[in-house]
Amino acid sequence: MHLTREEEKMLDGEYGWANQVSMKILVRLGELFGATRLIPVQSAHLSGVSYKHMGDASIDFLKALAEGNGKAQTLSTLNPSSFDPTYLTKCYPSEHLEKQSRIIDLYKHMGINPTLTCTPYYLRKPKRGQHLAWAESSAVIYANSVLGAWTNREGSPSALAAALVGKTPDYGVHQASNRQPNVLVKVETSLKNETEYGALGIHLGKLLRDKVPVFSGLKNPSDDNLKQLGAGMASSGMTALFHQRARSKKETLETISIETKDIKEAASGLCTTAETPNLVFIGCPHCSLNEVKGVASLLENKKVRGDIELWVCTSRYVRERAKNYVNIIQRAGGRVLCDTCVLVTWIKDLDVYSLMTNSAKTAFYAPTLNEVDITLAPLKKCIEAACQNGERT
Amino acid sequence: MKMKVLKGRGVASGRCRGTALVSNKPLSFLGGVDYTSGVIIEKGHDLMGVSVKGKVLCFPYGHGSTVGSYVLYSLVKKGLGPIAIVNQVADSVVVVGAIIAEIPMVDQIDIKQIKTGDEVEVDGTQGTVKVGGQK
Repeated sequence: MHLTREEEKMLDGEYGWANQVSMKILVRLGELFGATRLIPVQSAHLSGVSYKHMGDASIDFLKALAEGNGKAQTLSTLNPSSFDPTYLTKCYPSEHLEKQSRIIDLYKHMGINPTLTCTPYYLRKPKRGQHLAWAESSAVIYANSVLGAWTNREGSPSALAAALVGKTPDYGVHQASNRQPNVLVKVETSLKNETEYGALGIHLGKLLRDKVPVFSGLKNPSDDNLKQLGAGMASSGMTALFHQRARSKKETLETISIETKDIKEAASGLCTTAETPNLVFIGCPHCSLNEVKGVASLLENKKVRGDIELWVCTSRYVRERAKNYVNIIQRAGGRVLCDTCVLVTWIKDLDVYSLMTNSAKTAFYAPTLNEVDITLAPLKKCIEAACQNGERT
Repeated sequence: MKMKVLKGRGVASGRCRGTALVSNKPLSFLGGVDYTSGVIIEKGHDLMGVSVKGKVLCFPYGHGSTVGSYVLYSLVKKGLGPIAIVNQVADSVVVVGAIIAEIPMVDQIDIKQIKTGDEVEVDGTQGTVKVGGQK
């Protein structure tokens, strides 16, 4: 790999240990994946925040970096944590909260912005063609495919290293040739709601491996639906980029056909129970303003059942802009939680045993990450289940 | 025992000598190794219940969450980790873990050539693993 004199100095430790170890990570990964240089990034988004996922081991490393003069060299944001600021802080042992605060403080000390959301693109939208170093697979695929920015699927340490150096190795989808579609996904059914988009994503993620798909037959999908599609693909597979429609009709590519039964099977394959849920969760990935509005409009003049909790998870940024909708949701008995989500907190310790969600990504992960049963259903059905009186019919 | 030299690729620099601990199965450091003891806890793993402490840990490749890199770092800093890593195929989780923990790592090695208990010398700069020879 070719390094500038400045980069060589970093690698030799002239700018302190944090810069040196970050540079070592970037250079080694670059060599491993065939990069010939480092390129500047416009932003870094870091996973590896929730104490539930990170545990104590990570704190040692973050502490060493912070003490070794680690400072973010590019706009850097953080994924969700295990707590929201008001509700969950009272639910778990104070030791958990202390450890979580420690992790966030160490990141803050390094100049990383504690946004605590998996949808950093709502706070600051990257521009088309900008190079980024983002972790959080659902944000990566959204940035590449919906916003037209360029980022590989970083892991927690490589995104952190990129934040501290301000650069990333030039390989993968940073190179135009690797962004070309090489498989056509023909959708021969109409997708009715966000859950069907997510289920399609889960189905495709398993088939695509490292391919770049291009779709035909998606009928004016909303950005929110594309978010679900991407999150699904990135959860069950390694996809980092898709194209919404083919540029030319002449392309002859390997083709995957999607029929109604594929969507049905994918959706039902994610459900593990038909039992009444005791937690209904909306907001994976974190809700857009429009999605919070959608929840509020369904909850108007309704009441959430006493034996069911309703969580709507979003960023602080969106929550502040959605005050009227938040009020409606809260009046109905729902909770609008920011900085966290179901997957990165200990819902089992809250006696949740059966979870209902409109997110295929959550349905994919929760049975293992949270050890709960899952019902996957579109928003409207989720809200109906949360509000129904008496037994479900 | 006659010494053999296996040639691979240097991934993380450094040199050390120690006893090999060899597995046929991929390993996830997050959830697979108890970070308070260094004992492998991954269900169904062929080294389940065995400590990696002070060993030259040889396994085909790593898998699982990228947080695993931090687990390897923490183990090594507490003196509970391996002293070197030998992989068939380096994956980014283990590579980053070895770099930040500052232990030698070599990949592109046929690990079937190494048996648990062998004395080995790992050179992460040259990319070689010497098996056997004098203790």
